Amino acid sequence: MTTTDKPGTGQHGADQPRRPAPTHGAQAPGGTLAPEQMQPDHQESTSAERLHGQTEGQMHTQIMSLNVGPQHPSTHGVLRLVVDMDGEYVVKVTPHMGYLHTGFEKTFENRTYQQGVTYAPRTDYLHSFGHELAYVLSVEKLLQADVPERATTVRVILHELGRIHSHLVFVGTGLLDLGALTPFFYAFREKEALQDLFEAVCGYRMNQGYFRVGGLYRDIPDDWAPRVEKFLDQMERGVTEYTTLFAQNPIFLDRARGVGVIPPEVAIDLGLTGPNLRASGVPLDHRKDNPYCGYESYDFNVITSTDGDSLARFNMRLLEFGESIKIVRQALRRLKPGPVKDPNRKISLPPRHELETSMEAVIHHFKLVTEGFHPPTGEVYVPVESARGEVGYYIVSDGGSMPYRVKIRAPSFVNLQALEYACVGAQFADLITILATIDPVLGDVDR
Amino acid sequence: MDPLKPADAKPMGREGVAQSSTSAAPVIPSPAPVTPAAPSRDVAPLIAELGLTEDHAAEPTALVTPGDLHRAAQALKDHGFMLMDTVGIDYSTYTEPRPKRFAVLHNLYHPRDHRRLFLRVWLDDGETLPSLYPIWRAANYLEREVYDLLGVTFTGHPDLRKVLTPDDLEGHPLRKDFPLGETPTLFRDGRHLDPAAFRAGLTGRDAGLTGYRGELRRGRGEDRLPPVMPEGGPK
Repeated sequence: MTTTDKPGTGQHGADQPRRPAPTHGAQAPGGTLAPEQMQPDHQESTSAERLHGQTEGQMHTQIMSLNVGPQHPSTHGVLRLVVDMDGEYVVKVTPHMGYLHTGFEKTFENRTYQQGVTYAPRTDYLHSFGHELAYVLSVEKLLQADVPERATTVRVILHELGRIHSHLVFVGTGLLDLGALTPFFYAFREKEALQDLFEAVCGYRMNQGYFRVGGLYRDIPDDWAPRVEKFLDQMERGVTEYTTLFAQNPIFLDRARGVGVIPPEVAIDLGLTGPNLRASGVPLDHRKDNPYCGYESYDFNVITSTDGDSLARFNMRLLEFGESIKIVRQALRRLKPGPVKDPNRKISLPPRHELETSMEAVIHHFKLVTEGFHPPTGEVYVPVESARGEVGYYIVSDGGSMPYRVKIRAPSFVNLQALEYACVGAQFADLITILATIDPVLGDVDR
Repeated sequence: MDPLKPADAKPMGREGVAQSSTSAAPVIPSPAPVTPAAPSRDVAPLIAELGLTEDHAAEPTALVTPGDLHRAAQALKDHGFMLMDTVGIDYSTYTEPRPKRFAVLHNLYHPRDHRRLFLRVWLDDGETLPSLYPIWRAANYLEREVYDLLGVTFTGHPDLRKVLTPDDLEGHPLRKDFPLGETPTLFRDGRHLDPAAFRAGLTGRDAGLTGYRGELRRGRGEDRLPPVMPEGGPK
């Protein structure tokens, strides 16, 4: 059913008159297509299609369609929800994505492997290091690159700090959606300190792009490790503060407990991963189950809950702060001086001082910058546990210096399917709670 | 012991010299070929049990025909597998010959014993494959995305609509023959987005074409009025 050749439908084609010039009124519905222009495969649907002809609600009211977004504070981005309501109760939620679709997967096909590192962090802009790490690990598996130990340890530290960063935004903005303004400022106080650390290491506060295929862009500054230690102390105090501030707040508990329950078998059926799945009682964590970057040698626990409601999903993130802090402390103790790049000149750029003395280094530099390296043909996939769930880059190489195809396994995109399940029968205010605790990042959804 | 030492040392020395000279000869060593990862969680018995053929790839992959997909997926669901991802690939410009133009890979994972298996279905232009939505509800958005970006049709999907691209975009962007660069992007009814005009609009000096609808920027034309709620509420 391709959209290009369907002469029988008469909805479009060469004989179809051009759309009339936009005029004021029902002809120009401002942002949506006119009904006569809608195709069967368009995102737009009529309420009759969504509800299979049902118009009467159980409360003897008409079912009303409510449009939430794309510019709505609770969507944390540009997500549009068409909510069919029966009184105050939700009958059906239809998310409309794609407002942030920038075609990263197509862009990857036209950039060298090393340039791809620029695009990976921009998908999930809150836990950028998760996407960066997944991309870099996949390419390294293709190349069989040899990553030095120091680079791996720094990657673990940043991966976990990124998780803390993402969860801080979750705690701050999630409670903001429920009307609690104060925790936002508390959480963003720590988030700013964390972004200072990211800035010190690579110059960017967000969308870092610090990892390279075969190692890191450069070594960390000398005073960075003590600064991280100091931040972890601050963070530990912060977590205690958040917990005392709102974990026992009766208004918050009323709005979160028992709301949007997802049983484990439904969570698996919907393909949920990450904290959302663990809140439903399935202890799946790729750091434990498919260890990468030496996670098998770190001592930490996988937090699970069996409640599966919004409160469980919320407390999950609060407890994961502690585990991430534990991992970072262990990794900081392991930090030994050493190289941070694969010594293979076919993958890593030569050091700057060599360019002045060695012709071979200049040739390598030139080839890497202009053309990039050529991994062998093959298809690889390395799963990584990001703050939102399983992130993986399925990379197909045809032997060229640019990937043939990159498919991003975006956890937010799959997790968003739980919204349609969990909101049915809930009140509209619960929809905000459920959306906040599912914690999608729209950059990750739309890619 | 002592007389043995020089006897031992000599051939070793020769070997060492020979090795260093041969290893120094190729200045640009070719990259090592990809070898399958150590099968710690082997799925080969499972593939044999389901009667599928194993594909030789770095990741554990099984080949399935479109007609057999439903049965294999149902059997894997009964084993406890979950659907993680659906990958669509257009192989039309691949360097090595491939059986058919498209491949759809279903990324399956077992959340308890942590086995991973890719189910690969080969498809030609115009061929369809059954939707896995009746088996895993996770297939809903994943198959919509493959349909949207590659134009592969899944039969039996309850709501096969576009999910990421704009409603009136023509074509499927992840196909290898989708035009790129300075080629105008085509929309329905002959409208198009000219890259140069689009960039001109970005500066603000010129009205340009600021969106996929190809209309004038608001406030420049006389006929532009703020959008109003259509009769009967939002769709």
